[in-house]
Amino acid sequence: MNKWRWLLLIITCWMAAGFALSSARQGQESQAPALPSRADRIVSMAPDLTEILFALGLDEEITGVTQYSDYPAAAKEKPNVGSFWQPNIEAVVAAKPTLVIVLGSPQQKNLAERLKRIGYKTLTVNLETVNDLFKAMAEIGTATGRQHQADELIGSVREKLKALSSLVGDEAKVKVLWVVQREPLRVAGRDTFVNELIELAGGENAIGPTVHKYPPIGAEQVIISGPEVIIEPDMGQKDPAAQRDAALRYWSRFKNVPAVTNGRIYVIPGGAVSRLGPRLYEATETIARCLRPRLFEN
Amino acid sequence: MDQLLTPKKLITTMAAALAVLAVVMFACSLVGSEKISLRAVFDGPGVQAAANPDYEIFVRFRLPRIVLACLVGAALACSGVVFQALLRNPLADPYILGISSGAGLGVMIAVISGLSWTLWGRSPIAVFAFAGALGTVWLVWFIGRLTGKFHVTGLLLAGVVVNAFFSAVIMFLTSIAKSEQVHSTIFWLMGNMVEEDFLVLWIGTGCVVGGIVAMFYISPQLNALSFGDEDARSMGINIARTRTVAFAVAAGITAVAVSMSGLIGFVGLVVPHAVRLVFGPDHRRLLPLSGILGAIFLIIADTLARTVIAPAQLPVGVVTAIVGGPVFLVLLVKHSRNVGGFK
Repeated sequence: MNKWRWLLLIITCWMAAGFALSSARQGQESQAPALPSRADRIVSMAPDLTEILFALGLDEEITGVTQYSDYPAAAKEKPNVGSFWQPNIEAVVAAKPTLVIVLGSPQQKNLAERLKRIGYKTLTVNLETVNDLFKAMAEIGTATGRQHQADELIGSVREKLKALSSLVGDEAKVKVLWVVQREPLRVAGRDTFVNELIELAGGENAIGPTVHKYPPIGAEQVIISGPEVIIEPDMGQKDPAAQRDAALRYWSRFKNVPAVTNGRIYVIPGGAVSRLGPRLYEATETIARCLRPRLFEN
Repeated sequence: MDQLLTPKKLITTMAAALAVLAVVMFACSLVGSEKISLRAVFDGPGVQAAANPDYEIFVRFRLPRIVLACLVGAALACSGVVFQALLRNPLADPYILGISSGAGLGVMIAVISGLSWTLWGRSPIAVFAFAGALGTVWLVWFIGRLTGKFHVTGLLLAGVVVNAFFSAVIMFLTSIAKSEQVHSTIFWLMGNMVEEDFLVLWIGTGCVVGGIVAMFYISPQLNALSFGDEDARSMGINIARTRTVAFAVAAGITAVAVSMSGLIGFVGLVVPHAVRLVFGPDHRRLLPLSGILGAIFLIIADTLARTVIAPAQLPVGVVTAIVGGPVFLVLLVKHSRNVGGFK
């Protein structure tokens, strides 16, 4: 049994040495001087954050964006630092950022932790609701020295939304079914920003409260919910017309749903409505046009 | 292959394999989505934080990740060897007794409950994965004991059923969880390699290397066991003790590996078979060589995962399966005369 004792002893010493070395290293690292606070090289870790940065006029300062950052067009030219779900930390560091902006999801928080540990400055913002969006624009404005532009942006979006709501007036709310995916059927639930967009546009979600954010539903719920309008954002398909045809074919089976009877099935561009960003008003207006086309006829 | 294994031969083979491992580690540390220059790396970190990206990328991200791949690959391959010997089943791998689904369930619970504390720099995900893995192995072992003193079939069936049951629970939790929570576990279930803290790697090295040495100690007994219980007993081997030690150590280092990197399939199945096909079934050589080859294999697989669709990354489990499968089939056909090494 002697060799076993030796093994145990060596492993114990090894572990102890690890703890000792690691606490010595931590002492050293906390002495590293902080970065300059000027945010002149910004990496954005999500497409919606990229849109906000561009809207604040930070075109030059952005030195890295994630995959699928496709708006505005200039975003596609920026260096790519991996996807929102699988960020490439090597690429983030290679972009020499002075500020990395991340969202509040678990992966993103984890990335922020890893970057902070080695001395990079990060800003975490939440983008779950419309209120979050206004708050995020203000926070990013403050962190990048663009408070003024941020205030202007927030003001103009709020104003346009107000004008839209007075245009709709107090007409009865239109019941909307927001289809994320057709087979299997998945729709937007109440606890989503899409739900807020629908309400801002003068509609209401045909689906009641659900466990999931984007619940999978069966044919029965479609009929019970009785939507007056069905909206499908196109998710970057090459041919929106083909998607519209497919949608009409699919929904034709629900003969007694009002939206189907009245031909109120819309396939709309997915870009603005699928993320919370400075195009909030444009997204809301697109939806409002589907709900009440006659208001926008002139 | 048929000559006797002498200490000298064992040491020469090991030295050669270690040299290859060193070369692979060095070469893979220079490959990545960002080009870095070694000269800039040697300039050091610079006076200010974040002043020398080349150094940061090399020292903070690439080296730790390569060390991690090395540890995980070695741990999985070695425990694959041991499980195959103990269960006398060529399909055995480190996950066969439910470690994967137990760890997966632990991770789901950690993610859904939204815990955010850390234990020595480990997130709840790692801690729950470790606990889930060990807990499940203990459960399977316990059920297996109920079926008989050491009934291989009973143990295997218990493993399969517990695996299926926990997988069903995972699916249930997946369907009631919020989508973004589920997303973060999907990558974990396919192998999630990120750079780890110095302390984590250090402790991991201690556990894995210590475990491999322990398994090497009992490799003569494993040789005897693979001939069957009767023969082993007639050679004067304490079967029950050998099995308990081998099981505990193999399950332990697998749980350590899983808690650091998520579930990486195929390494623990393919590498032991490949080494057995080429170098024969003697565990004194099979075990250390499988460890080194497992490390080499996973380092290369992870380098591919980092770079193939750069700047995005693949889960490393995808690469191990896609690369490992065909390589293994070629070996199988070429060396099929050695397959009889399994009796």
